[in-house]
Amino acid sequence: MDLVKRYIAAVQRELPEPKRQEIGRELQANIMDQLDALAEQTGQDLTDQQVADVLKNMGHPTQVARQFCPTEPLIRAHLMPLYKHTLFMVLGVLFVLQVVFMTKAWLTGADFGLIRFILGLASGFIEDAVFGFTAITLGFALMPVNAAAGSSKTYDQWHPKQLPPVGAGWQHISLSDIFSDLATYAFLLLIIWLPLWQQNFAVTAAAQSVFSAHVLPLLMWFSPVIVLGVIGSLWQLSRRLWHTPLLRLNVLVNLAFTLMLLTLALSGPLLQLDTDNWVRHFDPNWLQRTIKFFVLSLALIPAYEVVRDLLRLKRLSVS
Amino acid sequence: MTSAQLDKMRLELRRGVLVLAVLASLRQRHYGYSLRRQLQDNDIDIDEGTLYPLVRRLADQGLLDSEWQQGEGRERRYYQISELGAELLAQLTGEWTTLNNALGPLLQPEQTMLIQQEEEKS
Repeated sequence: MDLVKRYIAAVQRELPEPKRQEIGRELQANIMDQLDALAEQTGQDLTDQQVADVLKNMGHPTQVARQFCPTEPLIRAHLMPLYKHTLFMVLGVLFVLQVVFMTKAWLTGADFGLIRFILGLASGFIEDAVFGFTAITLGFALMPVNAAAGSSKTYDQWHPKQLPPVGAGWQHISLSDIFSDLATYAFLLLIIWLPLWQQNFAVTAAAQSVFSAHVLPLLMWFSPVIVLGVIGSLWQLSRRLWHTPLLRLNVLVNLAFTLMLLTLALSGPLLQLDTDNWVRHFDPNWLQRTIKFFVLSLALIPAYEVVRDLLRLKRLSVS
Repeated sequence: MTSAQLDKMRLELRRGVLVLAVLASLRQRHYGYSLRRQLQDNDIDIDEGTLYPLVRRLADQGLLDSEWQQGEGRERRYYQISELGAELLAQLTGEWTTLNNALGPLLQPEQTMLIQQEEEKS
C-alpha cells in the first residue's frame, strides 16, 4: 500500500493547496476499491507489481492532477487576439520612441558612429520590449475572468453593412509597415530640427547638424511633408485598409519624397563631414559622390511606391 | 488519417457523450468505482483518470449531489444526480435524440459498409 500512498502524494503535490486533501481522499477510496476488486478477481493478495500496474493504468500523477484541476492558461483564449494586438501596438510605439531617443543621443553625442547607433537602438529596444512584454502579459493575466464583457458587447453589436468592402490582399496594411514609416519620419524630423531647437532653446551645448548649410533649409521646408506622412501613418493605424483618399495621400507624400531626394542628390555636398579626420582614409569628394548615389537610389523607393499606388488607385476605380 | 488524428477526433466526439452517460448512470447512487463498473457493463469504456475528475467537475457545477459514507469497511464518496442535473439531462437527452435521428440517415452508407465488413469477417 506504500505505492498507493506515494502515488496519491505525487498527485496531491501537483494540485492547488485547497483541493489536495479532498481529491487525495477521494482518489485513495477509488484506488482501494479497484485494488479490492482485482484481489477478489484473482483470489489472492495483490503483489507490488499488480498494484503498480493498476496505478500505471491510472496515468501519470501530473496528468491525473491536471484532469482534476486543468491548468488555466496565462492569457485566456478569448483575450488572445486583443493581447496580441496590444503587444504589437505597444512594441511598435516603443520602437518609434527608441528611434527618437537614439537619434537625439546620436545628434548630441560627441563620438557616436553608425554601428553604435544601431547597437544602441537594438539594445534599448530589447530592454524596453522586455519590460513592455512583461507588463502587458501580467496585465492580461491578472484581468478578471469576466473581462471579456466589453469585447463580447462589440461582437454582439455589429452589422454586416458596417464591414469594409471586399478588397484584394494588398489592401490590408500591416502594423509593421506603419511603425517602420513612423520610425523613419520621427528620425527625419529629429535629425532636421533637433540641432536648430538646441541652438535656440537648449541649455546644453548644441549639436552640430549633419546636413550641409544649403541642404538644411531645403529639409526644413520639406518638414510639413514629413508631418503629412506622420498623419497618413496615423490614419492607416485607425483604419488598416488602403482606400482611395489614403492612397492619394500616400502618392502625394511619396512623390514629394522622390522629388526632394532627387533635388538633394543633384545639389551640392549633402552632409557636413569631418573630412580633416577622414582625409587619410577616404577621399572627401569620393565620399560625397557615394552619398549622392546612395540618395539617388534611395529616391527609387518612394518612386516605386508612387507607381505602385497609382496602379492601385486605377484598380480601385475600376472595381 | 493518422492514428493521432483519429484519437483526437474520437476524444472530441466522446467528450460530450460521456457527460450524458455519467449523468444518466447517476440516476442511481454510485461511488467512483461502482460508476465505472456500471458504465463498463453498458459497453462504455472510460479510464479512471478521465472519469473521476469528470464526476468531480459535474459535482462542482451543482449537477451532482455527493456525500461521504462508510461502506464495506471503507469511506466512499457517493454521487447522485441533483435536481439541476436531472433538468439538464432531460434537455441533453432531447438534443441527443434530435442529433441521433438527423445523423442516422447521413451515416447510413458507412453503417451499411461496417455491417458488411463484419459479415465478411464472420
